[in-house]
Amino acid sequence: MKRLDRLDHRNYFLQQKITPWLILCIPMLFTLWLKYYPIMKAVYISFFNYNPIDKPGQFVGLENYKTMFATQYYWEAWGNSFVFLFLQILMVFIIPIIQALFLNELRRKNLISTMYLLPTLIPTTINVIIWRWVWHPDYGIANQIVKFFGGQPQTWLSDPSLVKFCIIFPGVIGGGVAVLLYLSAIQGISPDIMESASLDGCTGWKRIWYITLPNIKFVIFIQFVIAVSSAMQMLDAPYMFAAGGPSGASTTQGIYIYNAFNRDYNYGRGSAASVVLMLVVMAMTAVQMHFENAERE
Amino acid sequence: MKRKENKKIRLSKGDLSLKIVAIIVTTISMLMILFPFALTISNAMKDNVKIYDVPPKLLPDSANSLSLTVDYTGFTGTDSELEAALQDDMVSAMFGIYTKLDRESIFEIKFYGVQDGKTIFYSRAHQIELQMEKEYGVYEGTVLKEKTLLYKDRAEKVSKILGYDFNVNGLSGHSAPEVVQAETLDMLDEVFAEKFPLKGELTACKTSRNNFLLLESFKHYMRLPQYMYDSNETIAKYGFMAFVGNTVLVIGFAIIAQVLLCSICGFVISRLLSPKSARFVLMFFLGAMMIPFVSIMLPQLIMYREMGAYNNYAALLLPFLYPYGFYVYLFKGFFDRIPGSYFEAARLDGASSFFLYTRICMPLSKPIISLIALQTFLGNWNDFFWAWMATERQDLWTLNVALYNISNNVSTKQNALMGISLVTILPVVLVSLIFSKQLKQSVMASGVKG
Repeated sequence: MKRLDRLDHRNYFLQQKITPWLILCIPMLFTLWLKYYPIMKAVYISFFNYNPIDKPGQFVGLENYKTMFATQYYWEAWGNSFVFLFLQILMVFIIPIIQALFLNELRRKNLISTMYLLPTLIPTTINVIIWRWVWHPDYGIANQIVKFFGGQPQTWLSDPSLVKFCIIFPGVIGGGVAVLLYLSAIQGISPDIMESASLDGCTGWKRIWYITLPNIKFVIFIQFVIAVSSAMQMLDAPYMFAAGGPSGASTTQGIYIYNAFNRDYNYGRGSAASVVLMLVVMAMTAVQMHFENAERE
Repeated sequence: MKRKENKKIRLSKGDLSLKIVAIIVTTISMLMILFPFALTISNAMKDNVKIYDVPPKLLPDSANSLSLTVDYTGFTGTDSELEAALQDDMVSAMFGIYTKLDRESIFEIKFYGVQDGKTIFYSRAHQIELQMEKEYGVYEGTVLKEKTLLYKDRAEKVSKILGYDFNVNGLSGHSAPEVVQAETLDMLDEVFAEKFPLKGELTACKTSRNNFLLLESFKHYMRLPQYMYDSNETIAKYGFMAFVGNTVLVIGFAIIAQVLLCSICGFVISRLLSPKSARFVLMFFLGAMMIPFVSIMLPQLIMYREMGAYNNYAALLLPFLYPYGFYVYLFKGFFDRIPGSYFEAARLDGASSFFLYTRICMPLSKPIISLIALQTFLGNWNDFFWAWMATERQDLWTLNVALYNISNNVSTKQNALMGISLVTILPVVLVSLIFSKQLKQSVMASGVKG
């Protein structure tokens, strides 16, 4: 009788221990299979002169990385990625902050913040359709405006020196989810702080600069990290606007990887670029996090 | 005392300037946000010729409806010969007007045939229908002339597609107009005299303004996929709705899969695991989120191809079958905050974990479910590249892929493209305007927690 009892107890605890893992094993296996396995596979393929018919082909060690680092085209893609990142931060990233700061000063926040949501609902494809028409050299509005101010008509998306600007520029309309995030952060600032600031004579522009901005710094930082990592992974917009052209001027890392695979059929090189890109993105995120932590302490 | 007063005045000045700048900046932002919509709407309502006007006009011209009556009183021949003659005339008249009078904003053409004072033939076509027929239909790639228009059985085919009523004994529903507008008559005479001669005699014609025709354009824009991809059975049958269906399927599946998977994982991590293993599992899921899509798209495609998940629905749906780390994290945080007494009470009554999950956790987590549904929707509404890489068959395309392909087709006209884009986003915009309150709440909630 006593032994049976103990066995029961043991069974019960065993069950308690095992059940959660039994439930979790399916999602975890799927995550392993659909997310971790592909990145492992990318590392694996990058060491091969991959042959999709006779897998995995010839083992070449670090040869893929060496040849990749030796080609100018690859470094140009990195250069493009960083120019995109720079333009994105300069032209697009700060707009929602400004919009949210000023929106907070107005009375009809509700209606206007609904309007700010609209740009989120336009998918990139449609944005590209609209803006390709704006940049059209013959019939587009852009050239009309340039002509109105007495400038020379440009070819915009076909001009290697302007294409990056043209791809990023649609973002300046701002809006989107970011405005709401900043707005909710601003409204979340404790009224005590605001009140004591105004008693000390800190109002208007000073309040924005000395009270509001420092208090939403954390949200801005999180958005910054997200913006940097998504700018490094930029793929859809440059591909749809100009397919990486003209003459490779809008080829980002994403398009480089896609071209290596789709145009050159060089799976090994594409995988090598994938691995390097992932490491760089992770390193950049880690560095940003480190700086933020250091500043906080 | 004096100093204090000064200070007060100066400060209120600062406040005022801030307010003015705020109003200006917000107004400019509003205009900029509305700009893409305005451009799309105005371009979608222009016709094939006016969209290429330089400088472009912001407002589309008003639409005209043209009706013409052609008399066949002296016609000798059998009824079927008469019908064929009417078909020929209808086609030459419509396409003649479409090509020759392209600057007149004629959005609708009504063609009446009369014989002995009876209306025996009626047909009506919208300009966009003619445009589609010219770009993708029977007249794809032909120069419109009398000979090419009536070559072999083309006229019969086109007139059947556009639709007409014919009855030798007179049509009851339609009576041919008898008004003659001199201006319109001059224009039409010019068209028919040179290149598009009619078999009957033009007796009456008039134009009238009808701006509802601009809205009717959208109905015909929606049929664009049917014209472009007519070799694909599904598209030929359902047209644009096939893409909508695919998009709804993918997004719906993603939402259901994510809510179920993430809530189960969140529940197990929050309630059933020891803190140490909970941390490990959470990091495992969050780590998967850190891997950028761009880095794994290539091996992912290779892997899916090997499994046979390429160019079918499996390829579109599989990527949502693992829980997204961030959502697991949200659920875990939410379940952590449910008071433990709920669970203890239920446990004492002998409730199983399954009961706790379905009866306690899920009913409480409605706000978080709506948040995740929204985030998944917004994420997938924008998703393009994977669906584009993994599908070749046209009936698998989601809206984004379809729109990209349509926009890359050289013969697609800008007005049709803008029209179909507008049709795509308008329902989503309307729905989100209706639910804007809930939408904003959940966006803000995600911001605070994230």
